[in-house]
Amino acid sequence: MVRLVTHNLLACHAKDCNTNNFPLVFQNVQLEIREAEFNSDFIRNFLPKIEWNALVKTAYELGDTSLPQDQPEMVDDEFLKNLHHVLFEIHIIEGGMVCPNCKHNYPISDGIPNMLLAEHEIA
Amino acid sequence: MKACYLIAFAQSHSDFRLPELQSISEIHGFQIHLPKDPDTSRPFMVVELDEEEHAFILAQRCILIKSIYEFYARGTTYEEVHEMNRSNRHLWERYVPDTSFKFIVTGFNHTIPQRRQRDVIESFAYMDFRGKIDMKNPEITMVCFEEYESRPAPANGPPRKRCEDDGGFKEVFFGRLIVEGTARQLVGVFDVKKRAYFGNTSMEAEISLLMANQTLASPGKWIYDPFMGTGSMAYPTAHFGAVVFGSDIDGRQMRGKGKPPGVIRAATQYGIASRIIDLCTFDVTNNPWRCGELFDAIVTDPPYGVRAGAKRLGRKRELSEDKKALYLQHSQNPRSDDQPYIPPTKPYELSNLAGDLVLLARYLLRPGGRLVFFLPTVTDEYQEVDIHTMMCEGMEVIANSLQDFGSWGRRLITIRKIATQKFSPPSFQHVEEDAMDTHVPAHRDFREKYFQGFSRGQCNGDQAGTVST
Ligand SMILES: C[S@@+](CC[C@H](N)C(=O)[O-])C[C@H]1O[C@@H](n2cnc3c(N)ncnc32)[C@H](O)[C@@H]1O
Ligand SMILES: [Zn+2]
Repeated sequence: MVRLVTHNLLACHAKDCNTNNFPLVFQNVQLEIREAEFNSDFIRNFLPKIEWNALVKTAYELGDTSLPQDQPEMVDDEFLKNLHHVLFEIHIIEGGMVCPNCKHNYPISDGIPNMLLAEHEIA
Repeated sequence: MKACYLIAFAQSHSDFRLPELQSISEIHGFQIHLPKDPDTSRPFMVVELDEEEHAFILAQRCILIKSIYEFYARGTTYEEVHEMNRSNRHLWERYVPDTSFKFIVTGFNHTIPQRRQRDVIESFAYMDFRGKIDMKNPEITMVCFEEYESRPAPANGPPRKRCEDDGGFKEVFFGRLIVEGTARQLVGVFDVKKRAYFGNTSMEAEISLLMANQTLASPGKWIYDPFMGTGSMAYPTAHFGAVVFGSDIDGRQMRGKGKPPGVIRAATQYGIASRIIDLCTFDVTNNPWRCGELFDAIVTDPPYGVRAGAKRLGRKRELSEDKKALYLQHSQNPRSDDQPYIPPTKPYELSNLAGDLVLLARYLLRPGGRLVFFLPTVTDEYQEVDIHTMMCEGMEVIANSLQDFGSWGRRLITIRKIATQKFSPPSFQHVEEDAMDTHVPAHRDFREKYFQGFSRGQCNGDQAGTVST
């Protein structure tokens, strides 16, 4: 797991790491594609929450180039389908997510990322 | 067409009946017109619905509904019942000429002797149904309920016979069966013991289903459990069409042994694995959420220290400088989740936790979203104001149902985010307050009270003081 929808919503939260702490950078990842139910209302509702640049950049890094660089103003079906695929069907099973700022590595195993902080990292 | 309907409830969780009715009608956007002073401790309730179709929707989704009837009459005597039934002739007239039927007379908290059952049926002879009686496949089923007070067996006496005091009913209800509740069978479907993965914190199926209904779970909704554990509430919530996100400070709770993680195995068994959006290990008081207003509901059973103690990252006392250096070194060697870094934790007082949870929900919920969670409380000490000590601006309590275990209980609280403005995330900072002039809620130091006094011999004690991922 770790779908890109999740990745798009999580930032490094180590103490004093407040700038350039998003998006986390995937490292040594093992991917899997799994089909998910398409719900266009859900995606439309969710669209305003997405950090578009982070999503496109991350999708490119993982080899998916179906999304346009700029978020389109007109939302059509094909766009929603591509977005659905990127957000919900790409799963990162193993690997890590590294903070671009403080370099904290959040390891992923069996699809579950460990976002626990060490003691000195708690605000 | 607007009409009156008689609801027969299942004999459990009476305090949850009304909130459930209201939630399901809200999901489907219709009104239930309730009686003036609904007495939810009773197993029957007459409500008004705008369409018969609404009765079907309720019966399909409400866990606590046994069946729904077109309402014809009620009374504390049979004279009253018959008088009302006659005046409602227009409701059943169309079944007179030739509709096959079945007539049932049954007692609640009571067994009516066969003979008197026949007498009761006879007394309805004036309805003059001409159709044939068909006990197997009738076109309509008429039911007459006699409601008796529950009369528990005396302390040392023999158990009361179910037919004692025949005729001493509290009230009689009469109507035509419209639909049997079909949601109750989900209690068996989600039975914890038949689940591919569960643990000692798992929530029983019936309560999990009631909680899922309180979230208004339906397709297109996104629902979060920040104390996910073995995921008990996620399964019914996803079953009703919502997608779910779960997190927990202790990854072992979500993983169990083996692969894939336990929560995914159970979700697969229920055919809803793709609706578990993700699972994530973190302390909710040190969470990585980038922004708020994400979820339609938060549903959770917070750790109240009896079986899975509330804890959060940190220490009771500050570390020495060289210990700090050690940890620094430790954390610069990132490890995978399998050989986890085990951070220390400190206890988390329940009334602080409850207040924080409401603040967190206000941040993470969309406007109109719901927070649904349990609050344990010492029955004798509970006061209505206890709930208010944890509330904040922009949030409103819409339901509060007690599950009573005797000396203690837990309250299922449903809170709606009524505010539309944005809020900042909570700080999770607590000053060691002195409670001189603030109200001390009965759930304060619940864990201590539990172990001091009202233990029912069922708990497994607290778990270890450390967590792992
Ligand atoms: C009562 S259990 C919830 C059980 C869950 N409903 C189930 O079905 O198993 C509480 C959970 O909260 C977790 N927990 C305790 N403190 C926490 C914290 N500060 N942040 C996140 N999770 C925490 C525990 O690990 C435990 O799994
Ligand atoms: Zn960082």
